[in-house]
Formats: sequence, C-alpha cells, structure tokens
Amino acid sequence: MMNLSPIVASLLVVILPFLAFLIQAMLGRRSQQGTISLLAILLSCLISATMVFPKIWNQDTQHQALTWFSIGTKDFQIGFLLNNLTSLMQLIVCLVALPVHIYSRAYMKGDPGIHRYWMYLSLFCFAMLLLTMADNLLLMYIAWELVGFASYLLIGFWFHKESAVQANKKAFIINRIGDLGFLLGIASLYSIYGTLNLVDLFGEHGFLNTVPPDSSGWMTFAGCCFFLGAMAKSAQFPLHVWLPDAMEGPTSVSSLIHAATMVAAGVFLLSTVFPLFNTTVLLIIAIIGCITAFIAAYFALAQQDIKRILAFSTISQLGFMMVAIGIGAWDAAMFHLVTHAFFKCLLFLAAGAIIHEMAHLKAKHQLDFDPQDIHNMGGLRKYMPKTFILMAIASLALAGFPLTSGFLSKDAILINALEWGMQQGGLWLLIPIALIIVSFMTAFYIGRLMFKVFFGKLRINVENPGIHEAPGQMLGPMVFLGICSLFVVFSLNPLSYQQAFVLKGFEFDRDYTELHILHTVVPLLMSIGSILIWIWAYRWYAQGEAGGSFDKLRMTESKLRMTFPLLQLSLNQGYLNEFYQKAFVNSTVQFSNGLYWFDRHIIDGLVNLAGSLVRAISRISAWTDRYIVDGLVNTIAGSTYYLGHLLRWVQNGRLQNYLGFAFTVLLIGIIYLIFK
Amino acid sequence: MITLTHFLVVSACLFCIGLYAVLAKRNAIMILVGIEFIINAAILNLVAFGRYDKINYGGQVFALFAIVLAAAAVAVGLAIILNVYRKYKSINPDNITDLRD
Amino acid sequence: MELVLFYAFAVLAIGSALLVVSLKNTARALFLFFVVLFGMAGLFLFALADFVAITQIMVYVGGVLILMIFAFMLSNKELLADLQNTSSRFLSMPNWQSLLLTLGFLAVMIYGIIEWQQHTPNWITQNIHKGQVILPSDNNINQLGIKFMTHYLLPFEVISIFLLMALIGAAHLSRKEDKQ
Repeated sequence: MMNLSPIVASLLVVILPFLAFLIQAMLGRRSQQGTISLLAILLSCLISATMVFPKIWNQDTQHQALTWFSIGTKDFQIGFLLNNLTSLMQLIVCLVALPVHIYSRAYMKGDPGIHRYWMYLSLFCFAMLLLTMADNLLLMYIAWELVGFASYLLIGFWFHKESAVQANKKAFIINRIGDLGFLLGIASLYSIYGTLNLVDLFGEHGFLNTVPPDSSGWMTFAGCCFFLGAMAKSAQFPLHVWLPDAMEGPTSVSSLIHAATMVAAGVFLLSTVFPLFNTTVLLIIAIIGCITAFIAAYFALAQQDIKRILAFSTISQLGFMMVAIGIGAWDAAMFHLVTHAFFKCLLFLAAGAIIHEMAHLKAKHQLDFDPQDIHNMGGLRKYMPKTFILMAIASLALAGFPLTSGFLSKDAILINALEWGMQQGGLWLLIPIALIIVSFMTAFYIGRLMFKVFFGKLRINVENPGIHEAPGQMLGPMVFLGICSLFVVFSLNPLSYQQAFVLKGFEFDRDYTELHILHTVVPLLMSIGSILIWIWAYRWYAQGEAGGSFDKLRMTESKLRMTFPLLQLSLNQGYLNEFYQKAFVNSTVQFSNGLYWFDRHIIDGLVNLAGSLVRAISRISAWTDRYIVDGLVNTIAGSTYYLGHLLRWVQNGRLQNYLGFAFTVLLIGIIYLIFK
Repeated sequence: MITLTHFLVVSACLFCIGLYAVLAKRNAIMILVGIEFIINAAILNLVAFGRYDKINYGGQVFALFAIVLAAAAVAVGLAIILNVYRKYKSINPDNITDLRD
Repeated sequence: MELVLFYAFAVLAIGSALLVVSLKNTARALFLFFVVLFGMAGLFLFALADFVAITQIMVYVGGVLILMIFAFMLSNKELLADLQNTSSRFLSMPNWQSLLLTLGFLAVMIYGIIEWQQHTPNWITQNIHKGQVILPSDNNINQLGIKFMTHYLLPFEVISIFLLMALIGAAHLSRKEDKQ
C-alpha cells in the first residue's frame, strides 16, 4: 500500500464518500446496488485504519491549513486537525458506517428510491467525516449543517409517508434551534478571541492558551450556546423530541444516526471545545444530561415500538455522556461514545432484521399489525438464534454487564461521577445516584425488550410463520459489531476501565481526587443490580402471566397502566410532544392566526383603503385625461385630420378641379388687386 | 357707332361661358369646345382693338395667327382625346384620375 | 340699325354658347357650336375685320368643327344611346362651383371694363386723332397680304411650320397602334 501522510490520507478519507455521493447523484437510477458508496466507505475505512489512526494515536498532533478567504485583515483558514480525538472519531465513523453500508445492501434491496438512499448515505458520511476533521469552527459548522441536512433527507427518505415527512420536518426545525446556538457560540467566540481556528484557540494539545480577563460572562454565554447546539444534535432534554420520531427513516439509517454520526456530533463538539467551558456551563451540562438520562430511561420503560425503545435508550446514554462532560470527564464521555456506537448500531441492525422478518410475515399472511410493536413479537429466539445471540450481546453491553464494552465505559462514567459528587458533596451527590438508578432502569427496559421479543411464543397466531435468520449480508456486519461490543477490543482487562486504550489516549489531570474504593464497589454493585433486574424482568415477561398471548399481554399492560399512571406517562413520553404541541405549535398557530387576522383586517384594510383612494384618484385623473387632455389632443388631431382630408380631396386627380382651383386663386388674386 | 365696350362685354361673356364649359363639362370634346370659346373671345378682342391700328394691322394679323393656332390646338387636342379614349374607353375626365395622390 | 344688328349677332352668339354648355346631348351641342362660330364671324364684321370673319368660317366651320364631329363620332360609344335618349332632362344641371367661379370672373371683367372706360389708352386716342383707324371703305385684304409678306413675314413662316408640326403631331398621335 502507498505510504501517505496522515493529512493527505484523511483528506482522502473525507473526499471519497463525497465523490461517491457525486457519482451516485450523476448515475441516478442506474446505480441500485450502491457499490460505489460501499467501495468509497470501505476505502475510507481502510485508509483511516491503516494510515491515519495508527500514525496519530498517542503521537504528535498534525495540523495543516491553507487560507480560505479573508475578511478585512482577518484570514479564515481551512484545514485538517489530526489528534487523538479527531482520529479516533474518524475511525469510529468509518467503522460504524461500513457495516451499515453492507447491511443496507440487503436491507434496502428493492426499494424504489434506493439510488437516492445511497446518495444520501454517502453525503451523510462525508458530512460527518468532515465534521470530525475540521480544524476550525466555521468549517465544523458547515459540516454540522450538512449532517443536519443529510439526516433530514434520510429521515424523510420514505417521503410518501406522512409521518416520515412530519418527522423530518421536526428534526430539521429542532436542529435549527441548536444550529442557532452553535452559530451564536461561534460568533461570541470570535468576538472574544478573534479566531475560530481550534489550534489557535486551544493550543496543540487542546488547552485554552489565553483567557482574556473579565470575559467570564461572555464565556458562560458562549459555552451555553455551544451546549445548545449539542443539545439539539445529541437530543438532550428538552430538545430530544425529534429523535424518537426520526425512527420513521429506514432502520439502517436510524442505526447510523444513533450510533456514530448525528447524535455523536454533539458530544464530539463538546469534547472539542471542552476547555472553553467554565464551572457554570459544566454544571448546566451535567444537570441537563442527568435529567435527559433519567427521563429518557423512564420513557423507554413502557414504549411498545421496538425502535422507539432503542431511541430512548440512545437519548438516555447520550445523557450519560453529557453528565460525563459536565463533570469534566470528557474522556469517559468519548469512551462511552465509542462503545455505545458499536453496541447501539448492533441493536438497531438486529432490530432492523427483526422488523424485516415481521414485515415479511405481515405481507405473507396479509395480516394487519404493526411490525415494530414488540407485543406482536415473541419467541423469536427459535427462529433467529444468531440474531438473538448478537442482540443479547448488545443488550448486555447496554445494560453494563461485565465482559462487555458497555460495562467499561459506563463504569468509567459512574465512577467519575461518584468521585466528582463526593468532592462536591451535598446535593450534587444526587447526580451520580440518579445515574445509578438510570443504569438499573436501562437494564430493566432492555431486558423487557429482549424477553418480549425473543422469549415466550409468537403472539401472532399463524401456522408456519416462516420467520428465518437474516441473510448473510445483514448478519455479517452484525457479527462484526458484536465483536466490537466485547471488552477485548478496548481493554485487555475486562473489569478495569482504566486499562482501556481510549481512556489512556485522553489522559489529563482531573479536578477531583480518585477514590480507589469506588473502582471495586461500583462495578460490583452495578453488575449484581443489573443481574437481579434481568432476572426480575425475565420472571415478569418471559415466564409470568405477561408471557402469554397477545391479548393477555396487552390487557396486563393496560391494567398496569391503569394502576400506575406513571407508566401511562412513560408510554406517552411524558406528554412532552403534546406539551410542545400545545405550548409552542398551538400558540404559534394562534399567534399566527392573530397576526393573520391583524394582517387581514387592519393592514389589508389600510392597504385596501389606500388602494381604493388611489383608485378613486386614478378615476378622476383618468376622466380628466380622457375628456380634457385627450379631448384637446383629439380635437387638434381631428381638426388636423379633417383639414388634411380636405386638402387631400383637392388632390383628386381631376384636371378640371385643378383648373378650377387655379382659376379660383386667380380670381381671388384679382379681387385682391382690385380692392387693395 | 359700336364702341369698344360692346365688344369687350360680349367677349367677356363668351370667355366666361367657355370657362364654364372647361370647368364643368363632363366630356373632353366639350372641354375643347370651351377652349375654342375662350380663343374666340380673345380673337374678338384682338379684332376690336385692331380697328384702331391701321398702320400695322396688328389686331387682324394676330387674329389670323390665333385662328391658325387654335386649329392646330384642336387637331392635337383631338388626337390626345382619341388616345385617351383608346386607353380608358372613356372621354369623361372624371374617370381619368391618374394624377391623384 | 348697325347697333341692332350687332346686338342680334351678340345675342345669337352668347345665347347659342349658353345652350352649348347647357345641353346634355353632345351632338346637338356640337351643331350649336356652328351657330356660335357664325355669330362670332358676324361680330368680327362689325369690327371691320372681314378677312378674319371669312377665315373664321373657313377654318373653324370647315376644319375644326368637322374634325370635332369626326372625333366625337369615333370616340363616343354612347352616341347612339345619346341620340335615342328621350330623357325629360333637356338641360344638364349646372355645376354650382364652376358657375360661381365663372360668374365671379364675369363680374371682375365687367368691373374691369367699366373701370377701363374712364381712361382710354393713349395709342387709341392718338390714332383716332391722326385718323389712323380702319374705315369700312378700306381694302383690308390687300393690306393684310402686303403686311404678311413684308412686316409679318417671319411670324408667318414660323406659324406655317408650326401648323405643319402640329398637324404631323396630331396625325402621329391618332394613328393606330402597331400590332405588336
């Protein structure tokens, strides 16, 4: 293989998907297989894994930039920054995108708009890779917008579905709020430092080199703005509502959005600009993250749609990452981001396989049921054993069981949070405690999902359901992701997160003291708690009365909901959507109606009044013009015409007339001479 | 004794009749006749004045010249009328309006 | 007696002329033209121009008029219709514009003649005084012949050539077109 410098190599990594996008766009319908996109991402992946990541990881930062454009005396640069963070992120994006591409070939086969799908997917990868490599905030912002746009296209991929259109609109609008925050952040940062270059801002190793005095207010504002941007992108409460709706897109897209690209962008952004945040901002981040984690886990408890459960779990895990950033352990956040990327991607792909089969079942027997509703599933373990195993690995990772990658990263966050909470003392301890509770809830809802889907027996009563294992093209990527969800990929020691290479790459001094006791107690506690919860969930869902038929299950759940209104709240996502509908949409609509009325009756009235006035004046003027001015002109013209006509008549070609005229003139002349 | 005035008045009347014929008649030959009237009126004047010029006999000589000229004019005029008739199949000057704009 | 005859000739000439311009029938008008010319010849006699009167009758009646009638016969295809036309309208309607103009001229001329009567030209009074006026007893034809051959020789020759030219021209104009 050629030996390219990391900068050139990463340029290639970024450019390849873009070229694929262009080629796909040009080929249009002729390219159904997506070979070009796949090839591009495969090459990107290889280049990233062989020529960028090994040369950058734990080695010198590389930075290269050229002047992009100048405004006045200020130069704006465009360039790539390669350090541990960006190279890791690049690799993760490639590694997650590759299986998704392979998986899509089978999953999206036969879709009428598949050529668009590949196009959008390549665009999405390009935007995300550009985002990771950008060396200045302006370029990052452009990539950020591109990511949002590509996700908009992908969520609304099935645009003939009304719900998909609504969902992508929602995603777009909410992302707009975040983008505004990001832009304000950039602007205020520029006004403080006069540069947007990350190297100039934070130094080669990611530290703020100069903090101007008396700018703490500005800094807080800028930090909050950046966080607002991340909130929208990474679906933090209260801007998380778009993510569950984004499930309207193809499942493979959901996996890509959730695992490595879209939602990770927010966390990545915060990690990048981490040195910027002062204590106030960090506290806000931690609190919001905590609330998000808790609320999303709570919502996930009673959801019935398999993809929605996973969506809320994503939001919850993102809340974890936010808390980690908030407490200053952004390394832990990145670590969790990486591990989460793999197992969440796997979860989605497996869910996609299941939905695929359920949809097949539905089409085959012409039944009418929701193929995504977990109440309709059950006992799938028998039909899809490999999928079951893979999904079990991913679920365990999500729940934080030992030997999985999730165990390491989640423990890293929890322990860091506890240490931080101990340091702060008092009420701040609530945050780690809440996180622990959320972990248990996570274990419960993912357990519920697993047991409902794979245990018991199929709740659709058909002979010979014909459900079988997903094809190899789908299974292969899932196996790869399953392996990546295990501890060995990150750390040789399955129990201690501190050995993880990702964390070692981000070594830095923390503000709080390390408590060794926690490193043994917390994992132990978490493991035991999770196992207990899984056993409980198993008894509840797989064996208990809820394990029976569909109707019985539904009845039980509705009975439960009647008894516990909290569950009803959870199912309806805390009525947040309804609240938004009432508070923002309806009020906006009403306000618009008011404005419409105002416009209609007052402004239009004024305009119409002015209009009628002008019309009246015009009428008078027209009358004047027609009868006075025109009359005058017409009179002159008419008389000229008649005179001309008269004189013309003289020239009638009759010799006698000519003679007569001549004699007339002669007579007149003589008379004149006589009477002179 | 017939005075000069008598001749002049008669000649004026004849001239005016000729003029009327030239202006009003709708027949080319009658127009020619009108011209002859006018010429005759002139000849009458010449003759009448010529009575007072015994030395040169100017009046009568020029009257004779005028008669000859009138004859020539009539000959040419009639030739023209014939040609016009051949071309337009009409000798009504109202129908011949090629001079019209 | 002389005055009465003069008036008779004058009335004959003017009346016939008026009829000539008023008649609808061209053929009749042309024959009335004879009468006018005769009347004029008579009037010339009163001006003591006997040779001119003879010439008038010879040239006009013998030449011009015959020529006119000949041309009229050749050209007027409505001749038969005219001759058969027993229309109630014997006279043509006068054209009022022309009539007005003509009357205007007549008025101006009469006015001019009346104005002129007050001062007779010098040469007339001188000639009357010297007795250089033509008298009825004079032999005009002799005198005219002498004058033509002496005093007016050049105009005489010119006019004869002119007459020839005019006649040739007329003949040329009225000849039949070659069939081409």
